Amino acid sequence: MRESGKGLVLDCRGLRKSFGQLVAVDGVGFQIAEGETYGLLGPNGAGKTTSISMICGLLARDAGEVIVDGKPLTSRSVDAKRSVGYVPQDIAIYPDLTARENLTFFGRLYGIGGSELKARVDEILGIIGLADRANDRSEEFSGGMKRRLNIGIGLLHAPRLLVLDEPTVGVDPQSRNAILESVASLSTEGMAVLYTTHYMEEAERLCDRIGIIDHGRLVAEGTRRELVELVGKHDRIRMRASGAIEDAAAAVHGLDGVRKAAASADGIDVIADRAADSLAEILGIITASGVAVASVDVDEPDLESVFLHLTGRALRD
Amino acid sequence: MRLFVIAGNSIRRLLRDRTNIFFVFLMPLLLILVLGSAFGGAFDSRVGVVDVGSGELGEDLSRRIRGISGVVTTAYDDRDALVLAVERGELEAGVLIPRGFDQALRDGEEATVDFVARPEASAQALRNTVDAVVTEQGAILRAATFARESAGSDFAEALRMAEELAAETQGLTIEQQAVGEPSAFQEMGRFDLGAYSQLLLFVFITSTTGSAALIESRQLGVSTRMLSTPISMGTVLGGELLGRVAVAVFQGIIIISGTSLMFGVNWGDPIGAAAIFLLFALGAGGVGMLMGAVFKRYQQAEGVGVMIGIGMGALGGAMVPLSIMRMFSPTLYQVAHATPHAWGISAFEQLVLYGGTVSDILPQLAVLAGFAAVVIALGTWRLRIALTRG
Repeated sequence: MRESGKGLVLDCRGLRKSFGQLVAVDGVGFQIAEGETYGLLGPNGAGKTTSISMICGLLARDAGEVIVDGKPLTSRSVDAKRSVGYVPQDIAIYPDLTARENLTFFGRLYGIGGSELKARVDEILGIIGLADRANDRSEEFSGGMKRRLNIGIGLLHAPRLLVLDEPTVGVDPQSRNAILESVASLSTEGMAVLYTTHYMEEAERLCDRIGIIDHGRLVAEGTRRELVELVGKHDRIRMRASGAIEDAAAAVHGLDGVRKAAASADGIDVIADRAADSLAEILGIITASGVAVASVDVDEPDLESVFLHLTGRALRD
Repeated sequence: MRLFVIAGNSIRRLLRDRTNIFFVFLMPLLLILVLGSAFGGAFDSRVGVVDVGSGELGEDLSRRIRGISGVVTTAYDDRDALVLAVERGELEAGVLIPRGFDQALRDGEEATVDFVARPEASAQALRNTVDAVVTEQGAILRAATFARESAGSDFAEALRMAEELAAETQGLTIEQQAVGEPSAFQEMGRFDLGAYSQLLLFVFITSTTGSAALIESRQLGVSTRMLSTPISMGTVLGGELLGRVAVAVFQGIIIISGTSLMFGVNWGDPIGAAAIFLLFALGAGGVGMLMGAVFKRYQQAEGVGVMIGIGMGALGGAMVPLSIMRMFSPTLYQVAHATPHAWGISAFEQLVLYGGTVSDILPQLAVLAGFAAVVIALGTWRLRIALTRG
């Protein structure tokens, strides 16, 4: 964990939230400094959205504290929320209002008015590339354009901390790239960014530091390099395969020299001490299980490997 | 005040949809016009008269029928055409003065005037009116006949003298005194009853169906997103409520001012009318908020909203007047007062029929205020839960 000090924009500690018997978030805590992009990486249902809902004051927490820009933030806070820009996973805009009207509405809720609001709306429309569609209803926009407007609303009041909850879900590759570039430029302007995703590539590309969250707990945190080092000097074997991959993965898991083995969306991922020593045996067991292997890749560990190493599950389970 | 930003946005979104402009503003005015034209106020009875070949006295009787207040006469050439018009409902009744009517009377013979009508209660009242005119003419004729037979004077001269004497003679008069309360219909202008019952009906329907906008806002995550801005939960809840009420008030202002200017509707004491309407709008807005918090899909709210709006309106006297409801089913009349509509209509009747003021409708206002307080409290509670459920 980073030490609190000058330049720290977000400091959250011991966040906990239960829904009945289900503990959705259990002791999550991290810090984000000015100009830093922090990625919260985890599969669906890991507790990312619940965590940021507590950080943004949308959800009352059972325990823990959140300090934003030096001010404590709770679900009842008003002033502290001025420092936070929230971009929800859902496209939370009015479809029957134009892009300009949506921005103006939220701008007024942020307390901006008059010529300042107009200027700020124009500026944001330029940043998100919707200046020429400003007066079109958002229901006429493509998915990517709606996502950009969704992000623009979070930027209106120039927050110290921008919280983006899976902002590229359901977006075409071109828009996705544009969104990632926009987010990258924000941190260079000094904004602290909290970015949740279950896409490993996005976390690796954007984030200065990454927290890996699973089952409501932050299981590891650090730079990409620091996280990969947790896996150690192991090889990652990825097999595209079809058939009874769960059973095959379980069979492989017990082999000597195999650290982890798990079924992924399209095959089986294995962390092994030395791929050269184990690969033949692994393939033998898998094919004996009736699984058809289409391709095999051996590479160095990445965040996917880290997640597999730490949780025993593939990131996209 | 950011409360007004949220409320203003509700009105903006309402007006954005052109079908809303029709159903929320034009439709009520149109219905008030149609109901007022069809059923409102007093109307003249249409009576057809055949007096072809009936002579001077027949034309005199025809003239007397034309002079009846509240009767519009139309001349027909023959009996068949007259009967057909009555059968088709083009006339309330027909009077057939036979050929030779004049001569028969002058000869001292019996003459019969036929009265034709459909078998309805209103026809009996019309017959009594025509009977009175025939009797009046008969009295003069009997006087002229008596003068001719007893004094041997010319019938025409005797008739002229009898008519002059009848005009000069102070006859018997009936003095009418009003007791008790007037019927809800008789003291109203043509459009009055339709106006305030339609106002309450449509404002309530707009609020219940308008809950769909709140559900959509929740579904989209916009309501939750508002909580991430520097405003309190109270402001979000208050803004959503004010938005619902503002839509109702906006609609009410259009209907009230529109009907006053176009149809001359009397809304009674302005302060009393404003108090009734604002409290009713608060209650309707509260119901809209409650539905917006409880339902998960806006399609549900639209369907159920129309059913609740029309159902409560019908039960509450917005379609069948409460006075008629009380006549046919006292139990139903009691049940009707479980709706705010019945209390609102009752309060408007007090203002319009009896010239009442705010002090005369305090019980009704208290009930409307209580209803509003309960549904607003429930709506606020449920919406808070819906927004913070996580």
